[in-house]
Amino acid sequence: MTNQQLEHIALLAEVDDLTARLQKWVDDDVNWDTAQRSRALVGRLLARVETLRFRLETPLVVATFGGTGTGKSTMVNALVGAEVSQTGRQRPTTTTPILLIHPDLEAESLGLDLSQFHVKVVDAPVLRDIVVIDCPDPDTSEGATDGSNLAILRSIVPHCDVLLYASTQQKYKNARVIDELADVASGCRLVFVQTHADLDSDIRDDWKNFLSPSYEVPEMFFVDSLKAWQEQLAHQKPSGDFGRLLDLLASELGTARRVEIRRANLIDLLQEALTVCHTNYQRDIPNIEGLMQALAEQRNQIRDTLTKQLCDELLVNRTLWERRLVSSVTDMWGFSPFSAVLRLYNGLGGLVASFTFFRARTSAQMALIGAMQGARWMKSRAKEQEAESTLERLSNFGISDQQLQESRLVISGHLHSSGIDYESSDDRRDLTDLRKRAASLEDEFLGDASRVIDEVIEKLAVASSHWVTRVRYDIAMMSYVVFLLLRIGYNFFWTSFLAPAFGQRPEAAPLLSVDFYIPALLFLVIWSLLLVSLFTWRLRRGLTQQVQQFATQMADSRLIHGLFPSLEATCRRITKDAERVSGLLDLTTSFRRSIADTSGGFLGGRRDTETSSA
Amino acid sequence: MTSTPDPQAAFRRVAEAIHRVFQGLHNLQERAELLQPPPLEGQEWYELLRQKLVPQLGGGGWLVAAVVGGTNIGKSVVFNHLAGCKASSSSPLASGTRHPVCLVPQGFSEGHDLQTIFPDFQLHEWSDASLALNTSDNHDLYWRAAPELPSTLLVLDTPDIDSDARVNWVRADAVRRSADILIAVLTQQKYNDAAVKEFFRKAAAEDKAVLIVFNQCLLPEDEAYWPVWVKTFCEETGVRPEAVYVAPNDRAAADQLALPFYERPWPVPENWGATEVSNVTRDLKADLSQLKFKEIRLRTLRGSLKEVLDPRSGLPAYLKSLQIASKDLAATSEKLSSEAVLKIRDWPTPHNSTFVEEIRDWWKSRQQGWAKKVNSFYDTLGAGVTWPFRKARDVIQGEPVPALDKYRELEWTAILTTIEELFDKLQWMADTGNRMVKPRIEEILQASTRTRLMETVRQKHAAINFEDEVKDVVASEMATFSEDSPELFRIYKQLHNVSAAVRPMTSVVLFSLGMGPAGETFAPVIADAAANAVVHVVTDVAGGTAAAVAGDTALSGAAASTSGMLQTWFHRLHSVFTQRRVDWLTGLIREELMGDLPEKIKQAADLPASEQFVAVSSSVTDLQSFVNQLQLPDVGEVAPQELS
Repeated sequence: MTNQQLEHIALLAEVDDLTARLQKWVDDDVNWDTAQRSRALVGRLLARVETLRFRLETPLVVATFGGTGTGKSTMVNALVGAEVSQTGRQRPTTTTPILLIHPDLEAESLGLDLSQFHVKVVDAPVLRDIVVIDCPDPDTSEGATDGSNLAILRSIVPHCDVLLYASTQQKYKNARVIDELADVASGCRLVFVQTHADLDSDIRDDWKNFLSPSYEVPEMFFVDSLKAWQEQLAHQKPSGDFGRLLDLLASELGTARRVEIRRANLIDLLQEALTVCHTNYQRDIPNIEGLMQALAEQRNQIRDTLTKQLCDELLVNRTLWERRLVSSVTDMWGFSPFSAVLRLYNGLGGLVASFTFFRARTSAQMALIGAMQGARWMKSRAKEQEAESTLERLSNFGISDQQLQESRLVISGHLHSSGIDYESSDDRRDLTDLRKRAASLEDEFLGDASRVIDEVIEKLAVASSHWVTRVRYDIAMMSYVVFLLLRIGYNFFWTSFLAPAFGQRPEAAPLLSVDFYIPALLFLVIWSLLLVSLFTWRLRRGLTQQVQQFATQMADSRLIHGLFPSLEATCRRITKDAERVSGLLDLTTSFRRSIADTSGGFLGGRRDTETSSA
Repeated sequence: MTSTPDPQAAFRRVAEAIHRVFQGLHNLQERAELLQPPPLEGQEWYELLRQKLVPQLGGGGWLVAAVVGGTNIGKSVVFNHLAGCKASSSSPLASGTRHPVCLVPQGFSEGHDLQTIFPDFQLHEWSDASLALNTSDNHDLYWRAAPELPSTLLVLDTPDIDSDARVNWVRADAVRRSADILIAVLTQQKYNDAAVKEFFRKAAAEDKAVLIVFNQCLLPEDEAYWPVWVKTFCEETGVRPEAVYVAPNDRAAADQLALPFYERPWPVPENWGATEVSNVTRDLKADLSQLKFKEIRLRTLRGSLKEVLDPRSGLPAYLKSLQIASKDLAATSEKLSSEAVLKIRDWPTPHNSTFVEEIRDWWKSRQQGWAKKVNSFYDTLGAGVTWPFRKARDVIQGEPVPALDKYRELEWTAILTTIEELFDKLQWMADTGNRMVKPRIEEILQASTRTRLMETVRQKHAAINFEDEVKDVVASEMATFSEDSPELFRIYKQLHNVSAAVRPMTSVVLFSLGMGPAGETFAPVIADAAANAVVHVVTDVAGGTAAAVAGDTALSGAAASTSGMLQTWFHRLHSVFTQRRVDWLTGLIREELMGDLPEKIKQAADLPASEQFVAVSSSVTDLQSFVNQLQLPDVGEVAPQELS
């Protein structure tokens, strides 16, 4: 007994695990119509899990199902061996469902509304572990109006665990019965019985073929209820298929199988619900994909605009380029005469340029100043005019209000067809929010751009400070200085002093005067300037090409966020949610398959739609 | 019995009216497209019209008898007994017979076109009993000549009416409508099935003659039951059988075409006992031949007519539903047209200097002789003197953006705002509109439509030459103005004093069907333009009527100052220009976005007054009166006076 209880608990734990996952999914709110509808559906089903727990101790409910005149009542009578349900040749015969229960069991504990049944207490062996309901037919009522057989049937079936599906040669393809079966079959195990074996031919093969696409059809029984009834009355064990059917009902639906069967039913229902959810997701997800694509396109458009704008400006701001380049070249160069000249040049230039930096209005200038300096600049600027500056820069830069408006127009179109409940601000015409977004987008973009520019500068600097270049420029620089030194030295040591002293010259030449030094210095400056400008010209030469490279490099980069970050986040959540639904469905399906073989070979059920299509 | 009009003539009139109705219906359906009426095909009355009345009214006097019933209860067996051979294959498996098989009297097919009798089927000559079992999707009908049949009787075997092969139901329904006599095969399992009852209820409503064959009875036990079964069946369906037969459950006999059919009295006599049953086998074919053909034919035609003209489920109900839907739509569109006005408040106008320059050009082109020379001299001189200043400005401030390029930018912003508002408005319409309008507007609201519209408008907007636009406006305005204004020169002199004009306000009416407040306001515009125009523009000077009034006075007399007059005149120039631009946009929207939707809505809203509707409904009225006349000579029926 303890062992059995343990098994029950193990089974329940498995179900618990699945339902916990489902519950977690249901509790996760996603702002999307389809997701919410699906959650409502599964949430409703999960409530039934609790019922399953309560019903563990109650016997299985077995109900008859089938068209009128297929001998449901006769079969029930033959099963219990007593005339408990009126049979007849008038259609329909049974209108009030009859509930058969063993005297040892309590009808109240079944959780059924007993007022809608004729409750009959019958001491039949088959009823020891199950309760049998003889249901009315689904096919004489033309609509499910109150009190019609169909309405009664539909109110009972959800409480049943196993359906005894009876049919005949005339009725086995009856559309109404089949349709009704499709509605009720999930959540029930099925037992297929062809009745009227005394009169009709055996059509079980055709019947099986007919049902197989949508149902798991194990063994089918071909019974002669009348004969079985006679045998029961004569206190004989019913022979043939009926005897086997009786044995199976009596032995296979006992306490041990209750939880398994109920669990299988529940998993069936969950799987069906999840299949519906999955189908809905598959149907609606293309809209979300469309929206995501549109968002990505908008992002790319913005990136392209920014890149283009930035490149244009970069080409214009040559002075800034030069300054950055020169300073990084000199950093690399170390000490040498020419680099000293460059430093001097750059220092002077920097003094002038610093005015420009503080007036750096455009984003390109920002990017050029470099990430470090730019950040410092930003901080000081931001304190002064926080809101203004970004907007001002924006209006000077790439993203125009029109572009924002266009984006919004396109996105709202997609939004409309996607079914996302997206709260935009009250005043739809207001662009302030979008402008702020655009400004922060631009900052993000500029961050990337500065990094890329830094790299470009580094590269150019390295290329320009090759030792050959350095030596060449230094020699050129030094050659004039050396010439000057030689000239001055010759005059200072030789012509004005040593030569007269040694008598080589009749008289000492005068020392070089200011007249000499001024032009010499002038020529030094000119020579330096010439070399510097030659060098910077060299530096600038690769610029256009570099900027183009920069553009392609930026084009490969991706803006992480777009203009509608919360919408993007919602979309991502939805795609994730869709994957989650598929995952849950797979889980349920594999769970269902793993327990499918517990039905003992004679219980059928709805077929897993995925396996049948596969 | 009153004096009987010639039934032949009456039938001819009915036949003509039926043909008129039948023709008119298609036109009507097409016209009512937007109201989304249910398709005609599949509606019982329409199918009756098409399958029974149109082919059979006015045709010769033949009868169609069909064996009908649920699946796997021996329809084909009964049919084979009628045929005297295995004309239709029978099988122990259900829903075997997929296609009808028809027995045609010898020589019938030469005198009659079977295709018109069975318009829905592809006819094939019968060659093999198994043909009826093939599961093709075509509606096939296999026919064979049967010499032993009466010369005016066609007998059919039909597919079932209750199996899951629903195409069988369609075929069985088609046969039922064409038929005059139904041989209803019933069994104790199926006589009270919902599908069976529904089928025969329709047959009873069409006043078909019904022969009941209760098959697979357990005789003699079921002798006590069949009266109850038949009674239930008749009560549930309204069928009044011509005769009732019972047949035993005897598969061997059925296979050998030797199944006995025992006739039973119906209604059952009061003191009738099951013991005194006759066990004389009847020949169904012979019994069939002895029916009163002419009477039955008249009866079924009239029954079908009655069904077609049924005020609750027939053609009148269809017309009524169209009328209601149309009224509903008219109410909705009235609401829409009264509220669907887009107010465009800040449509930009080009800078005054643009107009001023254009006016100068216009002026110059009209000057002659001395004045022209002086003018161009000063122009050249002015250009020369100001050149260095302009150059300096260009260097300092950068080259100024041409005024019209700036305007183009501003206008694009305005266009975007308008389009955005337009879609909001359309969304609102879709949300508040009724079910007929909603899907159409939803179509417009799709994301792809938006993107496409934006692209189109962008391209067209970029292609516009604003200089020409301004030139045109100035030219036309100056032309009208110069005709009757002596103040022209003063205006010219003061041109530079023009201050920025107030922006004109513009309203765009999206839906106007000549109804509602908006419709009234813009009625004159509508009358001028095409009656179906949907977007109308009304330009108004913002700042209200005061400015307009002031303008009138200013223009009419010399009372106001020149500058005031000039201001007003510039207002006008701006208004005209704005109107022109908004016209352009709305025209584009109408063309690209709305398509023929407004026209369709208007058509649908006016449906009851349309030619097509009137044609059909008057034909129906005619038909009604003809049918009433037709009923007069009848003995069994209630007289029409009593009906009303």
